[in-house]
Amino acid sequence: MQLTHKKNIAQALAIASCGLVNPVAEAATDDRFFSGWDIDAALMYYGEQDRVQAIEAIGDFQKQYDDESQLNLKVVFDSLTGASASGAVAQSQHQTFTRPSGDGQYIVGAGDTPLDDSFKDTRLQLSANWIEQLSLEWQSNIGVYGSREFDYTSLGVNGGIERSLNKDNTTLAISAAYTYDLLEPVGAKPVPLSAMAIRQDFISEQAFRQAFNLTRGDDSDDKQTLDLILGLTQIINANWLMQFNYGLSSVAGYLTDPYKILSVVDNSGTSQQYRYEHRPDSRLKHSLFALAKGVVAGDIVDISYRYNSDDWDINSHTFDGHYRHYFSDDFYGQLHLRYYLQSAAEFYQPFLLMGSILPEYASADYRIGEMTTYTFGIKFGHKLKGDHELSYRLEWYQQTPKNNGTALVGQLQQHELFPSLTAVIAQVSYSF
Amino acid sequence: MRMNTQLKQQTWGFSGSFRAMASPCELLIATDDKQVAMQMLQLASDEAQRIEAKYSRFISANVLWQINHAQGKSVAIDAETYQLLLFAQQCYQLSDGLFDISAGKLMRLWRFDKNSAIPTPEILNQALLAVDFEQVKFTTTELQIPTEMYLDFGGIGKEYAVDRVANTLAQRWPDISVLVNFGGDIACPVKRVAECSPWQVGIEDPQRLDQALVSLQIRQGALATSGDTRRYIELDGVRYGHIINPKTGYPVVHAPRSVTVLGPNCLTAGMLATMAMLQGEQAEDFLTEQQVQFKIYR
Repeated sequence: MQLTHKKNIAQALAIASCGLVNPVAEAATDDRFFSGWDIDAALMYYGEQDRVQAIEAIGDFQKQYDDESQLNLKVVFDSLTGASASGAVAQSQHQTFTRPSGDGQYIVGAGDTPLDDSFKDTRLQLSANWIEQLSLEWQSNIGVYGSREFDYTSLGVNGGIERSLNKDNTTLAISAAYTYDLLEPVGAKPVPLSAMAIRQDFISEQAFRQAFNLTRGDDSDDKQTLDLILGLTQIINANWLMQFNYGLSSVAGYLTDPYKILSVVDNSGTSQQYRYEHRPDSRLKHSLFALAKGVVAGDIVDISYRYNSDDWDINSHTFDGHYRHYFSDDFYGQLHLRYYLQSAAEFYQPFLLMGSILPEYASADYRIGEMTTYTFGIKFGHKLKGDHELSYRLEWYQQTPKNNGTALVGQLQQHELFPSLTAVIAQVSYSF
Repeated sequence: MRMNTQLKQQTWGFSGSFRAMASPCELLIATDDKQVAMQMLQLASDEAQRIEAKYSRFISANVLWQINHAQGKSVAIDAETYQLLLFAQQCYQLSDGLFDISAGKLMRLWRFDKNSAIPTPEILNQALLAVDFEQVKFTTTELQIPTEMYLDFGGIGKEYAVDRVANTLAQRWPDISVLVNFGGDIACPVKRVAECSPWQVGIEDPQRLDQALVSLQIRQGALATSGDTRRYIELDGVRYGHIINPKTGYPVVHAPRSVTVLGPNCLTAGMLATMAMLQGEQAEDFLTEQQVQFKIYR
């Protein structure tokens, strides 16, 4: 058993090992620009039937600097078009509204829910977060946030600290965020609860302008938000963990939606005028959140419940759950169910009655009215070569506003004042 | 989320260490940039762990486990596994069957704790029936082995990991000289420039463990050691080394205690060292004929 007759073994081995040692095309395409970064790219479409449509592009960049630090950068760009409900009620006759800028008007047909079709916007959001492991037990994070759309600018800072206990089985976290928002509404801030000036009620353009200008206040305003969250994460056993959060959020400043209005109707339910809405200038929110996440027979399950309560009297309950099943190591499917229930703000009213005393605050914005929403979603994900992952999801969203107990007068009984809304969300994501 | 890597500043750059493949792993990096050194170390640790997870015979349900538990059925393999099999096949042919990765079942019978028992001839003969690389059938995408057979990449896995890590680092940082050392299997893919002194590598004397006896200088290339310095059985005064002859089922007779070979890459150096071991008494002659630099301890 001698190999001595083969003198070229060393050379033969060197050649044979080349195929193994020299990284093949796969490694050669390794992009230097992206080296060391984990990147999630996603494209999302959101479409409400006959109303708002949005396209959102999301880029999420993550880089681990060593065992102790991590940088997250996120860029979101979205583009919205379409119309959203203005707050005015549907009528048996067509209705004419002045655009927020005062330039021009739009007409809503008989029986139709008034929508403000001048809704068109693009927004850019940027955020950066730095996570630093201070010691085995302590971890901290700080971040900045900024977003810009044509009438809205938001800037924020946040920070938090986490402590691990019981051999990492328990994590306590506290975090805080401060956000400053600057609003520059089209056509300036409307004077609260002032009546909309409509061109046809005036004999000249000049007279209309004069009246319109009387409904206008400052060009801009701001609001400030302070959020505080206390969290507890507890690992129950090898398969389950639970998380509990308490959140406190305090907002102060201009909280009114400058584009929302209320119809003022007479005894027959016919609109006589429209008034710009007005909301309190502060809001204090509490939230409680509980989540259980675990593995059941190889499938990943999470269920959560959130309770929100605020001093506008909006109380809400959210039940949310995901169920993920792996068909193979590289392919999973996920179901998503969400149910949301909300009570109306104390100053919410679908319309104002002619002749009654004007309240201090009033809004007919369906988003702060009573409602329930359902979300049903499916998602599929593939693991691809080199740790890449492709996933796509499709969700149906159904929003059903309800009357909060307001008696409907006259013709209002014949119209759908609380129209349901259906939306579809489609998203494709790629991680690499 | 903490990894087991450790980085230390040195006068000439950084040294990094971690544990993988049951060995201490080390990187010597000639750069002043801590950020880069950290990235290189992380990459090395990730890659070593990836290969270990995929091919270690001590991990269940990995690629190797699936191959060995296919019950004679054909299993799908990826390009990397195909390349490893191809290399193993060439080693089998070049060694006239002395290096055989299909000898997994046989290898498991020999446990090299100093005073383990020697398997009985009956058991060894039984195991030998399941050893035959000729029966390993594979294409670029599929592999089929007999039900009784166990493949074991132990003879090339660590060397492969060293070369993979070394080459990946060299590709991404072509100007930084780095020495990759996984438990004595070493590669240095980027040439250490003339202004700097070469990397110093100590070679262990099997008689005096943990004391570097001969220091070898290396600017570029690889070095691998095959030896029974720590892994042997001694029974009735006979020392059984850890290199098993897959044809007899017994450790090679008169094998050197350790063989260290310099080569263009770690796989080549490691295979030459193993083949020299398998030559027993003729180890020196074999390596001399291959015209490679080597160091043998007997």
